[in-house]
Amino acid sequence: MNTPLRIGVLKLADSAPVIMGRHQGIFARHGLETEIVVSPSWANIADGLAWNRLDAAVIFAPLAMMTALGRRGHDTGLRPLGRISRSGNTIMLRGANPVEGTWNAGSPGRQAFDLWAMSIGRKPRIAVVHMYSTHLLILRRFLKMIDVSMEDEIDLSVMPPTDMIHALAENAIDGGCVGPPWGTEAEQRGLAFRVGGSATVLPDHVEKIIVASGKLLSCDATGRRMSHALRDAIAFCQQPGRRADIARALAAPVADGGLTLPLAATEAILPGGDARECVTFAGGSLLPSDLDWIISDMTALGWVDNAEHQMLMRWIGPVPADPAPACARSL
Amino acid sequence: MCEDMVPGTRLRVLVADENPRRGHALSETLHADASLDVLTVPPGTALVDAVRACRPDVVLVDMNRADRDALDSIRALSCSAQERPVALFVDEDDVELMETAFDTGICSYNVLEALPRDVKPLLRAAIALYARFRRTRDELTEAQRVLAERRIIEQAKRCFMKNEKTSEAQAYRWFQRRAMQTSRRIAAVAGEYLASQKKDEAS
Repeated sequence: MNTPLRIGVLKLADSAPVIMGRHQGIFARHGLETEIVVSPSWANIADGLAWNRLDAAVIFAPLAMMTALGRRGHDTGLRPLGRISRSGNTIMLRGANPVEGTWNAGSPGRQAFDLWAMSIGRKPRIAVVHMYSTHLLILRRFLKMIDVSMEDEIDLSVMPPTDMIHALAENAIDGGCVGPPWGTEAEQRGLAFRVGGSATVLPDHVEKIIVASGKLLSCDATGRRMSHALRDAIAFCQQPGRRADIARALAAPVADGGLTLPLAATEAILPGGDARECVTFAGGSLLPSDLDWIISDMTALGWVDNAEHQMLMRWIGPVPADPAPACARSL
Repeated sequence: MCEDMVPGTRLRVLVADENPRRGHALSETLHADASLDVLTVPPGTALVDAVRACRPDVVLVDMNRADRDALDSIRALSCSAQERPVALFVDEDDVELMETAFDTGICSYNVLEALPRDVKPLLRAAIALYARFRRTRDELTEAQRVLAERRIIEQAKRCFMKNEKTSEAQAYRWFQRRAMQTSRRIAAVAGEYLASQKKDEAS
């Protein structure tokens, strides 16, 4: 009897290709039996990969790379299978926006920050979804762009994206950099306003990738089938005409194969939606140019040294294309 | 902030479980070891705040806690950029122990730079307790399922007896025979029968 491939995801709209891959029977058409594991935290995803509890996962590149470097307490044969999405992160702040729209670079942005911070009445508490997230890197670049020091002028905290809505409502945080659809959801509920995000800081940056654990990689044929299935699922999700169907599938309860995402906000941020910061589903192999800025920022932050920098550039290489031996599992 | 805090130089273990009954049971088990200071996270307190306040050597954490992400960042955010995050579990040579821990829904974080001694017995105690709780939960779920099935069968039998003017034994034999013919459980056949009756009533 085959063991299904366990794919880890979080409750985010950029998990759509995996959710729709199963929903639309795309994985099955490629001969893959899958089990989708909706995880409560990024730590669960990273540890699941490191400790053989997941065969693949949708994840952001910094955490994937830190996990591959053995920072979860255990070396792992983690490798990237390909891209999943680009952009979609929003920087949201609570209270009133002292200027119209997003904040501009340089002194106009700095002035807006000062006015807003004064209205908050404390050192701003800004949340990101994980220490090793693209969100933290985007937030850092945004603050630098408006001459604000992330290290000295804000209090940084970490919480899962689903918790940020409640934390904003309770004034436990003053803002955050968060993935889709949670920023738009906060905006629609009147809890926060958008000052920047992926489009402002680094348009079309790679956001989520899919990585495979050592077990999946031990069977090249299955790895290739997974890549092909995801290519089809990503193409499906990128069609604006599918937006309503995808939003409904993502809003369904987890027990029914969904992610319990808020319907209106999810529909707004999918390709073709009317949100100002939409997600773009984009597949294909991960390229060094996709990760240059991420690795460079990670090095600047001291997360990796120069030797590890070189290791990460090699890590991006494609999955070997040699014919695979017979695989023991459904892998 | 932390409950049951005991001063001293013994190994400080923070138990972070959102299931208060299980967390209490684990704390009680660990309290029996005099070499441990056992601390718990008060309800409603964020894990990261508890770790900052308690400064434990090891955290045993329920994997369903969404705020586990914040624990990853505690040292990386509060110390120099060269500090590495808290993410060391057990020795490299004991992957099986950690995988067993994962299967039972618990993991262990080391908050120190070096792995403290005697972490494995802690994790083993937690695994045993979590496994026991899971068994109890599974048994309860199974008992509830059996009761629910019985209710459906009884309801379907009553409905069949009324419709077909039969005895209870005849009704049961009908469902039993149908289940055998279709290779399904009697409860499934009974549920289908009730659904078809409801549909007929609605039309």
